[in-house]
Amino acid sequence: MSKKGIQSKDPHVLNLVKIVGVDPVRKSILYKKEDLLAYDCDGFTLRKHLPRAVVFPKNTAEVAAIVTYCHENDLPFLARGAGTGLSGGAIPLNGEVIISMVRMKKLLSVDFENRRAVVEPGFVNLKLTNSISDKGYYYAPDPSSQYCCTIGGNVAENAGGAHCLKYGVTTNHILGLEVVLPNGKVIEIGKDGVPDQPGYDLLGLLTGSEGTLGIVTKITVRILKNPEGKQTVLAYFDKVADGSKAVSDIISAGIVPAALEMMDKTAIEGVEAAAFPVGHPKDIEAVLLIEVDGIAAGLDEQINQILAVCNSNNVREVKAAQSEQERAKWWANRKTGFGAMGAISPDYIVQDGVIPRSKLPEVLKRINEISEEFSLRIANIFHAGDGNLHPLVLFDARIPGESEKALEAGSLCLKACADVGGTITGEHGVGIEKREEMRFVFTDEEIIAQTEIRQVFNSKNLLNAGKLFPSPGRCVEVKNEIAAAAAK
Amino acid sequence: MSLREMELKQEPACAPKTLGNYLWSDLPDENKWADCVHCGMCLESCPTYELTGEEQHSPRGRVHLIKSVAEGKLSVNEQFMDPVFACLDCRACTTACPADVNVGGLIEEARGQIRQAMPLTGWKGAVNKLFLQELFPHQNRLNSLGSLLKFYQKSGMQKVVRKTGLINIMPKHLVEMEAIMPKIKEPVRKKFNDADVIKAKTETKRKVAMLTGCVMDVMFSDVNEATVNVLTRNGNDVIIPRNQTCCGALHVHAGDRETGRKLAKKNIEAFKDADKVIVNAAGCGSMLKEYHELFRDDPEWHDKAFEFSQKVEDISKYLHDTGYEKPKAEMNIKMTYHDACHLAHGQGIRQEPRDILLDIPGVEMVHMPNSDRCCGSAGIYNITNPDMAGAVLESKMENVPEDVEMISMGNPGCMLQMAIGVQKYGRNQKVVHTIQLLDWAYQKEDSLKEGN
Ligand SMILES: Cc1cc2nc3c(=O)[nH]c(=O)nc-3n(C[C@H](O)[C@H](O)[C@H](O)COP(=O)(O)OP(=O)(O)OC[C@H]3O[C@@H](n4cnc5c(N)ncnc54)[C@H](O)[C@@H]3O)c2cc1C
Ligand code: SF4
Ligand code: SF4
Repeated sequence: MSKKGIQSKDPHVLNLVKIVGVDPVRKSILYKKEDLLAYDCDGFTLRKHLPRAVVFPKNTAEVAAIVTYCHENDLPFLARGAGTGLSGGAIPLNGEVIISMVRMKKLLSVDFENRRAVVEPGFVNLKLTNSISDKGYYYAPDPSSQYCCTIGGNVAENAGGAHCLKYGVTTNHILGLEVVLPNGKVIEIGKDGVPDQPGYDLLGLLTGSEGTLGIVTKITVRILKNPEGKQTVLAYFDKVADGSKAVSDIISAGIVPAALEMMDKTAIEGVEAAAFPVGHPKDIEAVLLIEVDGIAAGLDEQINQILAVCNSNNVREVKAAQSEQERAKWWANRKTGFGAMGAISPDYIVQDGVIPRSKLPEVLKRINEISEEFSLRIANIFHAGDGNLHPLVLFDARIPGESEKALEAGSLCLKACADVGGTITGEHGVGIEKREEMRFVFTDEEIIAQTEIRQVFNSKNLLNAGKLFPSPGRCVEVKNEIAAAAAK
Repeated sequence: MSLREMELKQEPACAPKTLGNYLWSDLPDENKWADCVHCGMCLESCPTYELTGEEQHSPRGRVHLIKSVAEGKLSVNEQFMDPVFACLDCRACTTACPADVNVGGLIEEARGQIRQAMPLTGWKGAVNKLFLQELFPHQNRLNSLGSLLKFYQKSGMQKVVRKTGLINIMPKHLVEMEAIMPKIKEPVRKKFNDADVIKAKTETKRKVAMLTGCVMDVMFSDVNEATVNVLTRNGNDVIIPRNQTCCGALHVHAGDRETGRKLAKKNIEAFKDADKVIVNAAGCGSMLKEYHELFRDDPEWHDKAFEFSQKVEDISKYLHDTGYEKPKAEMNIKMTYHDACHLAHGQGIRQEPRDILLDIPGVEMVHMPNSDRCCGSAGIYNITNPDMAGAVLESKMENVPEDVEMISMGNPGCMLQMAIGVQKYGRNQKVVHTIQLLDWAYQKEDSLKEGN
């Protein structure tokens, strides 16, 4: 809040201030240690590093000017949204200049006729739905962090959510992007919101590139008409295997639920101890939250089918939400599931594996073994419909050695997913956290093919370096060394 | 006594404990930050983050910085002070946080350390001293209208105080209602000074003690009067303990926890015979319910304070739980409701006051978007952080529906701030306390009866 002038001795800070100017109430740049410390990590807390500075651009031109400056002066830089990322994508590992996108938070336009909206990257996910719901529309991708995360961050991580089973993840809802390339040039992809342009599918490439190919400054998204009706069911199972069989049976019965979520016993303990308890029984092994939506007329039929499936799978209790309040309560309980772990553990890391649905009991058994091996509790939250499993490894960073143990246990959970034919991230991205685990699913050639693409966009590798791929020291360079040794 | 025991006895009574770079007594509570998993789900709830987008001004950032001092990464200095003191203490983050992190409590504890490390000097020190040491704890001084006026002229809020009597620009039927409002010139504590018990108007069903509050009883004595009326009408004998004093919330918010403890002890003593302590100021109620947090290093007082806190109840919740007579007179008011932070976030009371208002015939309630967003009042934040307070108020006023005649709430601090907002943005709503409206409805009913 200080109106005092910039007191930094860093010439780069002084030059960056010239780009963004000064503001009477808010700071346009942070450079003091006390302020920077708040940016030393994101939702992934096991690696921390101070940024060189945090700058707050107000528009695309300022972003482009900052990026150009960094490019010309060889300063590492990266974009940051709300910093809710769970894989460390926004952590300034190399002392980056952080370009905070949160003041570019306008809803620029809504075109109901063509069902699309244009937002600035700092616009918060849930605000989009809130701004158009009175007209009967919504924005479908709903990560559990939607109260706070930015749509720019969603594009970078290709975020998914509970309702992506039926409606698809972020990439299915992006029609166009304006991007500042790592050299400061501005390009537009999916011009006029027409996504299927000739040429390479840059829209697909950029979405999910984890902030390594460019900085998104404007986003055209698809908006959807609210479904006519919605019904939600809660089902308790004494055995995980029964719950997981129910999931498979629902899908094979041809029902496409809007959402199909599962939590295990430890996860239930967490959400019940936290801010939004529902009153789930403590002694069950699995709770399923199932939502169907669509034309009102067909919903009862679907619900009856779901009830029948649950009953034939030894469900202990199954019930439909009786009111919108009840439905909202169930969802608040589920959507705050990660944070709720704070109520039963000082720290956690969340993993993000994908598995074939039918393999759930097998994978959970393996995770249980890992938990016992490491003496660390592991809770499981599962987007059961699309096989996206979130094991949450609970630990206490104050105990020496426990963070390392947790990381290793987490990595083994991912291995368990990869081993049954799954993969290592469904929606949270690779970031810093899962760089090495990329080897579980890609060969060296496959990784190199991707780093070469990064090279095209991000030639100096100043933008968010050290993320997404295993360090070259252990991949490309090792390979080159081996090749060199062989040549000798 | 063994030699070892002798040695132990000779240690200073309270060897000062430290925690990283927290070097002063009354250390912040490690368990409070241990709950935080750094998820960021609190960001958007925070008015200072919303305005600045700066994470050191977010709940997560503040918790992180407070923890960093304990880890020895930061020291208690000016730069650390900025984010910690720019917090409005609005507690919205507590509601939003899935892990139930007590961010507000942590911030108060950190402020305690800062104030011990860097006692206030200059004009801020003078303002703090005037308000916190010289005024609020001394009922006699508060009561003296002369000093009050001076203090209000000085702080530029004089006009606003007048605003509470908005007669000239009010719609006609509100002026009429004004006419049936009891005109009280004296504080409730003066008025009932001689009475040991103010008897219930009907058969006595319960007995309650009432906190009159320091500022409340002088500036808003009509709210206190209304509270007494409503309580006695609904079968409560009301006791106003004479030795009660200012609740200490403003002191604790400002980091002066020592004065906070002194005032707390005085109140705990003053109310020791009461079974229920009724409060009509959300900020005070919230503080009273948290007194035990002040005594984490003093088990004896901690227990006493905890026991006391269990007896404290907000007037709206109390009426809701014990039942009240529904007024019969038609009021015909279009109004909106503002959730005071320390009622909604601090005490989880949201629906009860709304139910009371909706029970008044002829009340049309218009929804205020983001009704539980802070108005920027936050004790003396107004004076210490004017830019931020002004910006917070502006966004609050944008949410007040245009076409309502009244804004109701359950906290005097908010009433002042909203009155400032009404004046500053050229609006013409009357700012009232929920209980006042209920009382007016009762009065109207009585006067109609008498008229017949
Ligand atoms: C409690 C909790 C629940 C979550 N639930 C889900 C979930 O259900 N589904 C899901 O998919 N994710 C979930 N996440 C993860 C996270 O919220 C998402 O990855 C989200 O998309 C991140 O958005 P952000 O604004 O916080 O981005 P940040 O964390 O700030 O950044 C994430 C990455 O995006 C890059 N980036 C940010 N903005 C831009 C931009 N404008 N241009 C280019 N790159 C940019 C950053 O450099 C970084 O690499 C959850 C997180 C938490 C804490
Ligand atoms: S205070 Fe709560 S909501 Fe905020 S980051 Fe910590 S755990 Fe998450
Ligand atoms: S109390 Fe209010 S201002 Fe302070 S951190 Fe929490 S939400 Fe922000």
